[in-house]
Amino acid sequence: MKKTFTMILGCLMFAILAVSPAIGAGLLWVRESGGNTAMVPWFFLWIISAGCLFAILLPVYLAARSTLGRLQVYVDAADDRLAPSAPRGPFWLRPVLKTFVETVEGFRARERELQMNYRDLEIRNHVGTTARMQIEAVLEVMNDAVIVTNTFDEVVLVNSAAGRLLGCDPTSVVDQPLQEILADQAILEAIHSTRSEGNLVECRTFNQVLGGVEHSGEGEGPSCEFTLACVADHREEVAAMVTIIRDRTREEELSRMKSEFVSKASHELRTPLSSVRAYVEMLVDGEARDEESQQDFYRIIQGETERLTRLVDNMLNISRIEAGIVHVDRELVDLGSLVEQAAETLEPQAREKNITVHRSLAPVDLGVQGDRDMLYQVVLNLLSNAVKYTPQGGRVTLSVDSDNLTRAVHVSVSDTGLGVPPQDHERIFETFYRIENYKRFAEGTGLGLNLCRHIVETVHRGQIGLDSKLGMGSRFWFSIPMGEEAALRAA
Amino acid sequence: MPYRILVVDDELHILHVLSLKLRNAGFEVHTARDGEEGHQLARTIMPDLVITDVQMPYMTGLELSSVLARDKATASLPIIILTARGYLLDRNDVDSSNIVEVVSKPFSPRSVIDLVHSTLEGGADRTSPLEAA
Repeated sequence: MKKTFTMILGCLMFAILAVSPAIGAGLLWVRESGGNTAMVPWFFLWIISAGCLFAILLPVYLAARSTLGRLQVYVDAADDRLAPSAPRGPFWLRPVLKTFVETVEGFRARERELQMNYRDLEIRNHVGTTARMQIEAVLEVMNDAVIVTNTFDEVVLVNSAAGRLLGCDPTSVVDQPLQEILADQAILEAIHSTRSEGNLVECRTFNQVLGGVEHSGEGEGPSCEFTLACVADHREEVAAMVTIIRDRTREEELSRMKSEFVSKASHELRTPLSSVRAYVEMLVDGEARDEESQQDFYRIIQGETERLTRLVDNMLNISRIEAGIVHVDRELVDLGSLVEQAAETLEPQAREKNITVHRSLAPVDLGVQGDRDMLYQVVLNLLSNAVKYTPQGGRVTLSVDSDNLTRAVHVSVSDTGLGVPPQDHERIFETFYRIENYKRFAEGTGLGLNLCRHIVETVHRGQIGLDSKLGMGSRFWFSIPMGEEAALRAA
Repeated sequence: MPYRILVVDDELHILHVLSLKLRNAGFEVHTARDGEEGHQLARTIMPDLVITDVQMPYMTGLELSSVLARDKATASLPIIILTARGYLLDRNDVDSSNIVEVVSKPFSPRSVIDLVHSTLEGGADRTSPLEAA
């Protein structure tokens, strides 16, 4: 109140100060105009009116400006919690100010609500983006092909597995008609009919060969399991179709291999078991009529039991290596001394057949990092095969050398035996594979070379192979990466 | 005059034990180590019965059975199959040959002798070779 009074007084003084020169000027004008005083009252009245009006309008203007300034600060406050209290202003502005402040507060409340909604949408957007990225990541790492199409049979999404299976680029096929990437008419019709049926509850699953794609195996295409599912929109109507294709070629191959393995293993186990059972029964029935025959029977039973044991041991060793549960005792192994040891072990068998065993050991470091017992088993198996399949008077040569270029130690076992037909070079390392016509030369489990391959390639990351010509002997070889010390010296 | 039996198997021990059992039972026994040798021997000695393994070099037991059935000289020769394979025989293999029985390994030499007797003498009822394995 005091402030307002001071302001009004100031304005009046200002008005008087402003009006005084005007009055002086008026009086001067009257005197110089020859004393015409008729206009003097009107002149003063006009001057005083103008002064009063000015004295009234100036404080109004100043009060309004001050109030509007505070109002501006109030409105401009970024956060209403930090905003100053609403300006009250002079009494004559209060109704307007009240309405204005109420409007501003209404806007502020709405803004707060919008900001909350915006934050909520931001969170939802973030959650949605994260979920979408997770789903895309899952789709990308899936081995099954996933194709999503819309109600016009246009591609919406194709994952990498589908790209690989169908031979297309997943990023460039979006929006294209499905038949551009899927050439199998039967599958296209199945997708179309499933969408038409619009079953949103159950998927449709069936197995079929997928035609129109590149296929390395047998048949017209890969054998696949198809799962078709309708995707609903918010109105519970079909909005999209998901087609999942699982390539079962490998699965079927594994199943076939497993059956084949069981069948072969069963066959190989039954054969020595037959001998054991038959000879035991013969002994029980007294069919071995003299001491010598009985001893023969016992020897055969013992031999066949050992064969069974070897077979089971080899099968278990291979299974353990394949399953990755074999215990490997890695140490520095000198393949030269290992070869000498194996040669000494098989010397008696070689002598029986008058076979000479030569050793050729390079005068260099022949050390490798590996499991001594396993590597000894490999050398022994290869040397044993060489002696078994080499005729009387033949020759077997064992060579060990190191190769600085490949940083590996090479072992080879050469013989002057029967040789291996070219078509059997790769198959001879398969489980239970034996060259049919060679069976009469020697007994075997059909697992020895497979075990060698597993020990060399799976356990020691080495290589194993065969060079042979039919009737010209064979050269089985394997190489094992050098031990760290030897590799350092070689470098 | 004893019955003449041809035993064909690439497993030496099986060949030995079966021959011994059959000889002890009074049969005349001839042996072969593979299908091809078995076929040649069958044509030469004209046996009354053939006992053969399935998986053998050069010619399998099933191929030998078909060859013998197609050969006029051996067309009516009864054949007993010994197998370590555990699978049932295909009907075509049975229809195209004179397989009268399939015996799974491991087998009992005693039961083989019984089977030989029943086959040669047309005795006891036998199960179908399709069901026997």
